[in-house]
Amino acid sequence: MTDYLATFHTHLAALKTHRTLSAAGISARMSPVPRKISSSCGTCVFYSAEEPCYDKLDIDTEAVYRMDESGAVLLRENE
Amino acid sequence: MKKENFFKKYWLVMLCGLVIGAAAVVLTAFGNPKNMGFCIACFLRDIAGSLKLHQAGVVQYFRPEILGIILGACIMALIGKEFKPKGGSSPVIRFTLGAVVMIGALVFLGCPLRMVIRIGGGDLNAIIGLVGFILGILIGVFFLKKNFSLGRAYKQSKVEGFAFPVMLTLGFVLTLIGVTFFAASEEGPGSMHAPIWLALGIGLIVGALAQKSRLCMVGGIRDAVMFKEFGLLAGFGCILVAVLVGNAILGNLKWGFEGQPIAHTEWLWNLLGMTVVGWGCTLLGGCPLRQLILTGEGNSDSAITVLGMIAGAAAAHTLKTASSADGTGANGPVATIVCLVVVLVISLTHLKKEQ
Repeated sequence: MTDYLATFHTHLAALKTHRTLSAAGISARMSPVPRKISSSCGTCVFYSAEEPCYDKLDIDTEAVYRMDESGAVLLRENE
Repeated sequence: MKKENFFKKYWLVMLCGLVIGAAAVVLTAFGNPKNMGFCIACFLRDIAGSLKLHQAGVVQYFRPEILGIILGACIMALIGKEFKPKGGSSPVIRFTLGAVVMIGALVFLGCPLRMVIRIGGGDLNAIIGLVGFILGILIGVFFLKKNFSLGRAYKQSKVEGFAFPVMLTLGFVLTLIGVTFFAASEEGPGSMHAPIWLALGIGLIVGALAQKSRLCMVGGIRDAVMFKEFGLLAGFGCILVAVLVGNAILGNLKWGFEGQPIAHTEWLWNLLGMTVVGWGCTLLGGCPLRQLILTGEGNSDSAITVLGMIAGAAAAHTLKTASSADGTGANGPVATIVCLVVVLVISLTHLKKEQ
């Protein structure tokens, strides 16, 4: 299992992604975006899965990070 | 969560809260109106007056604090490589919400920041305002959970991001060199102000700290309700503590409803005015202070919101909806109801369907 963090362009995208991941049985929780990740005050989703589950993330996903012990590693970005 | 972790995680936002609270007390001691060391709504209203967008002679002054906050945030964002111009998320709706939030704030007589500062001065009317503010945020959170969205923002050019901060800077320079177009009150709250460079300097510090910490009056209560995260709320609490202590030291702490500085006692409209503010700001994603900070980071949606707030202030004084120490304006109650209806319509018309 790996921990991931996804940030979004809208709160709604975070909400929908959280619902999709939860419906698929993936452990996920919504949270304010950590300050180290972004200066924006949006909502992010933390989730634990075997792989990043890109197909389950909303179209308005901003970025996906893998959460290592050393910190967040950027995997994908969609400006 | 363990206590030490909480402080380690949120020390910056708490420091920012303490600095803002202290700054408000200092600005008042150096000339700003009582319990109005900082008020984003009042300051934007004064700027609207200085631009002669309204004719209320007692509230006209180009407040340097606003420029300081935006520039402080802008400089800090540039240093941290966080200046990222973006926009295009329902600009007209954001303009409208900005205007509506301002009309609500001027019924209560203060933005969420001044609401806390008023409580810190002992003004119990502001506690009624806080109840309305929380109520508004809860309604806003309800709609967020029902799929409310103003749509996403897109990357924009640096020119777009710098446009508003540069415009405001030019306005400030023009007032400095004495261009006669700008009005400045000779009596009333608009005539009471701290020295220009002190106001600008404190604005810069507050803007920089607020950018770094993401302090937000609405975000604090929203995050506590939605995610059980209390960091931003701790910043909110620290402002209150700093103002309370500062006012107690200076002998400005006077508890009560009657005779409070630039405040009225009509509780229903204090409550509903702040309901409009809490609800509108939750839909916008941040309080008026936060809109200034995001403007400094190059967010043109927030710049549009600030312009909406300036327009709302102009409308509030032209249409006599703004309150004064004597009570609500002639059209204040009607305007508050209209604003609640407008926010409700915006809420209902932006609920997205599940795909």
